Amino acid sequence: MIIEYYDELYPKLLRSIDNPPTRLFVMGNPNILSETGIAVIGSRNNTQYGERMCKRFVKDLVDYNINIISGLAFGIDKIAHITALENLGKTIAVLPSGLNNIYPKQHNELAQKIIEHGGAIVSEYEENVKASSKSFLERNRIVAGLAIGTLVVEAGHRSGTSVTARLTTEQGKTTFCIPSSLENPKGITTNKLIQNGSKLVTKIDDILNSYPNIKFEKIHKKEQIENIPEELEDVYNVIEDIPQDINKIARKCGLSISEVSYKLMLLQLENLITELPGQRYIRNESGDYI
Amino acid sequence: MLAKRLITILPDLTMEEAMEITKIHSIAGELKRDGLIMNRPFRMPHHSVPINTIIGGGKIPKPGEISLAHNGVLFLDELAEYGRSTLEALREPLEEKEITINRLNGNYRFPCNFMLIASTNPCPCGYLGDEEKECKCTEQEIHKYLKKISGPLLDRIDIQIEVKRPKYEKIMSKNKNETSLDIRKRVNNARNIQVERYKKFGIYSNAQLNSRLMAQFCILDKRGEMLLEQAFIKLKLSVRAHERILKVARTIADLDGEKCINYKHIAEAIQYRSLDKFI
Ligand SMILES: [Zn+2]
Repeated sequence: MIIEYYDELYPKLLRSIDNPPTRLFVMGNPNILSETGIAVIGSRNNTQYGERMCKRFVKDLVDYNINIISGLAFGIDKIAHITALENLGKTIAVLPSGLNNIYPKQHNELAQKIIEHGGAIVSEYEENVKASSKSFLERNRIVAGLAIGTLVVEAGHRSGTSVTARLTTEQGKTTFCIPSSLENPKGITTNKLIQNGSKLVTKIDDILNSYPNIKFEKIHKKEQIENIPEELEDVYNVIEDIPQDINKIARKCGLSISEVSYKLMLLQLENLITELPGQRYIRNESGDYI
Repeated sequence: MLAKRLITILPDLTMEEAMEITKIHSIAGELKRDGLIMNRPFRMPHHSVPINTIIGGGKIPKPGEISLAHNGVLFLDELAEYGRSTLEALREPLEEKEITINRLNGNYRFPCNFMLIASTNPCPCGYLGDEEKECKCTEQEIHKYLKKISGPLLDRIDIQIEVKRPKYEKIMSKNKNETSLDIRKRVNNARNIQVERYKKFGIYSNAQLNSRLMAQFCILDKRGEMLLEQAFIKLKLSVRAHERILKVARTIADLDGEKCINYKHIAEAIQYRSLDKFI
């Protein structure tokens, strides 16, 4: 559908930026464009650290009913969209191309899932327009423009992410940055942004507290999985969303490695947990996408 | 070091075994003093040593490291660093428990019934899965690296587990764990169960079971049966892994003093196939 600048559905936040698009092309749920959202952006070549942090923050944002806005690109964008979906949140992808020309095309399926799960795909370009270096930059002002603030997860030298961060500030909003190790080449821009006045965040509260006028409420999703087999409960209960290694799990449950091992295997076969390198385990979210 | 500690929990040497070990070490000129060797050997040849030193050979053939490890442990640290030909050459002795070296004046046969322990990094940089340091390898690099050690050798390895870099506090802490002596007691018990169970069949351990005997002694309960099937589909385990899992499960059941293999034993045995899950 097409939303014109003067339409009721045209998001107010976007209307108030310096150079708003005259119209928006939208697939999916147009109402969520006016809901509270945070832009989550970062490198196309993220590190594993970036992935973990992106997942951690996006999950928390979604738990507070905040929509995730990003650009459907590889790397952090993709992780942000998927994590939002996995946690039953809503997400908006702003394209640098027309809606018939989803860019990158590898993310066609992801775009479809975003729409199916109450999200939206947005573009200011006519349906068949292809992505160009100009449109990549223009798109960033919409990503920032739809959001109440921008979270930069991880960004290397000379990345487009710094453009979006600058636009966020120009729009009078807050840019949040997750700090990186000085040895992380993908942390150069995030650390630099912090140095130049962006807000360093270590936990979700750092973002929420920046908006004293908005009341964020944690949504209690229904218990994810109803029937954990009783004998596996002790082990399942100590496994969290952050990877835990087998020794820690055994210690917390007071079980031998041998007992924990069989329970971990059964939990994996029940699709309740996933094993990561280093004999570490995390819970699966209900309804695993992709 | 973990591998070295292993010999402290292996079953006691029988007199026969001690004689075999002593004989081989004597032929190799490695006997340091008179009398029987009463400890299981632990051999750890470096990856740079020539293949003959590991497998055995020479003009007048001498036993190699694999035979010096007979009735004990052969430890290959950094498995991926060993030459392809060395790794290939290990297949036969692992299967046959002896090695034949052909010479013009006749064939030499040396026993080599060793337990193979090998270690490898999880990826070229060594930090995959590490909590404190970031792995910088790409997925292709990791795959290529693990492929190098996989294939025929991996299928012959019963247990694959990931271990973490030990932390200093852990090394220093005097947490009460089961002592080697306690473990050895349990191992001896399990071994005695096996000796007793197989005495009519000319073997003494689960590792020696052939497929006919496995059908007789590795019977699963209904749930174990289902579990194993489920695991094969979900974890895409190889057919050859099947036999390994059953034997390991049989051993876990013996350590538990259980007559039948139940689903818990099977689940634990599958859990010990880490590499299969990632390759
Ligand atoms: Zn690595």
